[in-house]
Amino acid sequence: MHHNTKPGKKRLLAATGLAAAAALTLSACGSGSGDGGGNDKAVVTDVSGGDHSQDKAVTVLDTPFEKPDLTLTDTHGKKFDLRKETDGKPTLVYFGYTHCPDVCPLTMSNIAVAKKSLPEAERSKLQVVFVSTDPDRDTPAELGKWLTAQDPAFIGMTGDFKTTQAAARSLGISVEPTHKDKNGKLVSTHGTQVIAFSPKTDKGYLLFDKDATVETYTHDIPKILKGEKP
Amino acid sequence: MRRATLAPAAIALAAGLTLTACSSKSPEPHVKVDGAFMPAPPTGEMAAGFFVVHNDGGADTLTSASSTIAEQVTLHTTKGGEMTQKSSFAVPADGELDFARGGNHLMFEGLKRRPEEGDKVEVKLHFAKSGTVTVTFPVKAATYDPAPHSSHGPHPSHESHTSQ
Repeated sequence: MHHNTKPGKKRLLAATGLAAAAALTLSACGSGSGDGGGNDKAVVTDVSGGDHSQDKAVTVLDTPFEKPDLTLTDTHGKKFDLRKETDGKPTLVYFGYTHCPDVCPLTMSNIAVAKKSLPEAERSKLQVVFVSTDPDRDTPAELGKWLTAQDPAFIGMTGDFKTTQAAARSLGISVEPTHKDKNGKLVSTHGTQVIAFSPKTDKGYLLFDKDATVETYTHDIPKILKGEKP
Repeated sequence: MRRATLAPAAIALAAGLTLTACSSKSPEPHVKVDGAFMPAPPTGEMAAGFFVVHNDGGADTLTSASSTIAEQVTLHTTKGGEMTQKSSFAVPADGELDFARGGNHLMFEGLKRRPEEGDKVEVKLHFAKSGTVTVTFPVKAATYDPAPHSSHGPHPSHESHTSQ
């Protein structure tokens, strides 16, 4: 087909050359400032593109999780046994750290604000447990200060990281130990989900992802108090 | 054989034209920042800041940020459960750079005081080409999230620059 001598084909070839050249040149223009590294529109859309519809932010698990057998130190410096202390109580569990400026306080504040919209008698039923993924920096006192600012009734657990990591893993949540980044700054990881445990079965049956808002929790917490699906 | 010379000629011509078009078509960025806010942090330890950079011109780069409220302001992106500090963020030509909850954020450390809802925090954003843009960040509720504003997808008026 390269030897086709029809003039029409020639124009096509030239046009293709043009298009290719234009594309090359355009991308050359665009890449001049690419040193920021991959922060183009696709990435931005990927990060915040999920719409905040309640249905998408919550997953009802077909196979609920066992509540992890986890005993760490609470914010008062006492041993806290998650299974024993929250037995038969509606419970939300989140894994995070306090040196986290965005997602961790947003998650806890969303729950705190939603909790305030419950009738007063109902509020104390809900157990909200924050498990630290950064136990070295999140001492009981530090964790207590941070949680109290959001809701004085929130429970904080901190202790051995490996134990914490295993508990998180049993809930399908992956967290890494605190490490130094290339600037020598300490970086920790937080879970991207909040798990709700039913007061009826003590099983983790609902999963809230990072798109869950105050509205999501306000809508679903009354159901969780009864161990119902939202 | 003539075809073989025709195509390179077309390429050269096209490249010449496109280069001219590129350099005469405002390589100067034109940045505007809006939607800035700082969620009220639970403690005075650290805070985050969010905003959108709109750019009507050529590409630019956000290289750093500073504020009198904090000893240090750094640029971060969060993916999955981990945030990573970045030395700069590209501001695409005729596009925008979004610092939104759960994505990119400014991190304020060594706060002089704990910002409270209703406060205003002045932040200087430093761009490689556009220089310093001073932006006032109102402190909003801890749960504030302007949600996916209509910024996604190409702006109709800019479409011609990005599509072939």
